[in-house]
Amino acid sequence: TMGDLHNDGPDKVTVENVEKAAERLAGHARETPVLTCGTLDALAGRKLFFKSENLQKSGSFKFRGAFNAISRLITSANQNPPPVVTHSSGNHACALALAAHQLGVTAHVVMPSTAPQCKKETVRGYGGNVIECVPTEQARVETMERIAQQEGAVYISSSQHPDVISGQGTMALELLRQVPDLDTVITPVGGGGMLAGVSLVMKALNPHIRVYGAEPELANDAATSLAQGKRCPLSYYPETIADGLRINMGPVAWPYIQEHVDDIICVTEDEIKNAMTLIWQRMKLVVEPSGVLGLAAVLSDSFKAREQEAKNVAIILSGGNLDLLKLPELLSL
Amino acid sequence: MMASAGKSYCISFQHIRAALPTITPFVTKTPVMTSSHLNQLANRNLFFKCENLQKTGSFKFRGACNAVSKVVASNQNQTANELSVVTHSSGNHAQAVSLAAKVQGVTAHIVMPTNSPAVKKEAVRSYGGQIVECEPTEQSRVDTADQVAKKTGATMVHPNQSPDVIAGQATMVFEILDQVEKVDAIVVPVGGGGMLAGISIAAKELCPHAKVYAAEPKNADDCAVSFTRKELTPLPAPPITICDALKTSIGPNTWPIIRDHVEDVITVTEEQIKAAMRLVWERMKLIIEPSSAVGVAAVLSDKFQSLPAASHQNVVVILCGGNVDLDNLPWM
Repeated sequence: TMGDLHNDGPDKVTVENVEKAAERLAGHARETPVLTCGTLDALAGRKLFFKSENLQKSGSFKFRGAFNAISRLITSANQNPPPVVTHSSGNHACALALAAHQLGVTAHVVMPSTAPQCKKETVRGYGGNVIECVPTEQARVETMERIAQQEGAVYISSSQHPDVISGQGTMALELLRQVPDLDTVITPVGGGGMLAGVSLVMKALNPHIRVYGAEPELANDAATSLAQGKRCPLSYYPETIADGLRINMGPVAWPYIQEHVDDIICVTEDEIKNAMTLIWQRMKLVVEPSGVLGLAAVLSDSFKAREQEAKNVAIILSGGNLDLLKLPELLSL
Repeated sequence: MMASAGKSYCISFQHIRAALPTITPFVTKTPVMTSSHLNQLANRNLFFKCENLQKTGSFKFRGACNAVSKVVASNQNQTANELSVVTHSSGNHAQAVSLAAKVQGVTAHIVMPTNSPAVKKEAVRSYGGQIVECEPTEQSRVDTADQVAKKTGATMVHPNQSPDVIAGQATMVFEILDQVEKVDAIVVPVGGGGMLAGISIAAKELCPHAKVYAAEPKNADDCAVSFTRKELTPLPAPPITICDALKTSIGPNTWPIIRDHVEDVITVTEEQIKAAMRLVWERMKLIIEPSSAVGVAAVLSDKFQSLPAASHQNVVVILCGGNVDLDNLPWM
């Protein structure tokens, strides 16, 4: 079939896949630093270790999954890879464009006409070919399928492919090296690629480590799914300032999350803004709203009530791509 | 040999070497970060020393820690909580001294003008500093600080002319040389010159082939003018620049070191500074204040670009601080 890299890789992602992904990423993706902040430790009542993926290539962790997936595509196509295609207005668009450029592969990125100009320019700046469409889910998918057909391009999903999940899982391997006595990890959850990859690695290598997802209350499909024991996607596209987390947790990520994640903590829009303000003012890092969910969750009453034991908590700051002109709306000053 | 032709400076390399173990228990060893995009723009290998990530949000914490430690060490017959320091500053130095004192159990009196922004007063208080208000004039600041010193026995910690402060700032050079394999040049923003002078002395000893460049707002170019005239020439009036941390002029302690060690002073316009600040925020995802952007703007400037690439390939840029008012950003 045209499309997805479904049958080209393993059906179930294992730690071995993630370790191989780490080898492919070495020298290309950054091993991002883990940063700390005394003030935030005091607020949280524990030691916090911030894995700074806002400092990753292309400005978010998505570079890992994109690079790993394209690398595998090149290998499986005997070094003669087809172009790649995706639809995204966000971090995956930038990540895919940059990874493809670095690997010498053509990238077509379908973006809604309403996507921020700076993101379209970033994708073009990374060598990606931007195809605009009207801003509906249907138009994105149809346009993408048309391009895939036309160009013989392979679709690389932002979160629902094993090679993408393996790529995201490499953050867990780094955290295990970078944070001694790690007992808890928390990541934002949108499509679930990061949470799936990170949770499977943590539980495989150290099952005592507790793994949490953090989600906006307004987009709480993953939390509902975990509570119900079955995937419950929202039927509408939710509004939240955490724009990277509006999509539903997908069917490929779900089984990993169901098996490995201890809980998903939901936070309000105000809690997200408060966490943004703390990170920008106290840590001097540019992190987008989706990226601060982990901190918002750790500071929430429900986390504090649930996790009295956690002493060394790793929080993944997933990305820093946002329109600076919108900043006043995103902070609680 | 630090002194030349009979001149001696307010500090020597020994001061700096002694400062390192003194402040190490307190300060963060900040990361050095790189950016492919900025390397392309500058056509150099740039290494950004992230002092915006230092405790209290600027490199000033280093000098403050050293100065406070010296006060404690020189008063062994008193316990820390009987000791105090005083300074007049509303900016990064105020916050730095407040926290440096707090972590060593010493009281910090911070003399601040009544019209200081609330956010700055709040920051000082949050770090444990005790604010003493004064009128918004230079004379009142100095007089009030003197009064506090007399009344409390507090030791004055000058933001940039104190030898202990200068030696403290210089400790970042040890870290840089651990973190960056080859250093051809170091670009340092300059206000009062404490960091510039300290780095100059340390670099001369530890990496003598590296050239030290000062970066300064054109609108506050006392260092550039002094350098050209070979004579200390402070600003005639308070300057107008968004680099609120660089408004002071270099002084009698820092000038001779700068005069004799710095390779050149590069001045940049307000527009260049704003553009560089936005570039770092957007591409490096680091929050830096305008004073930090001065170094970035300098390295992208025509003047720096015209320096021979071969001998200026690996350039360290000090991102000196990240205390910026999020309500009041230059591009909004």
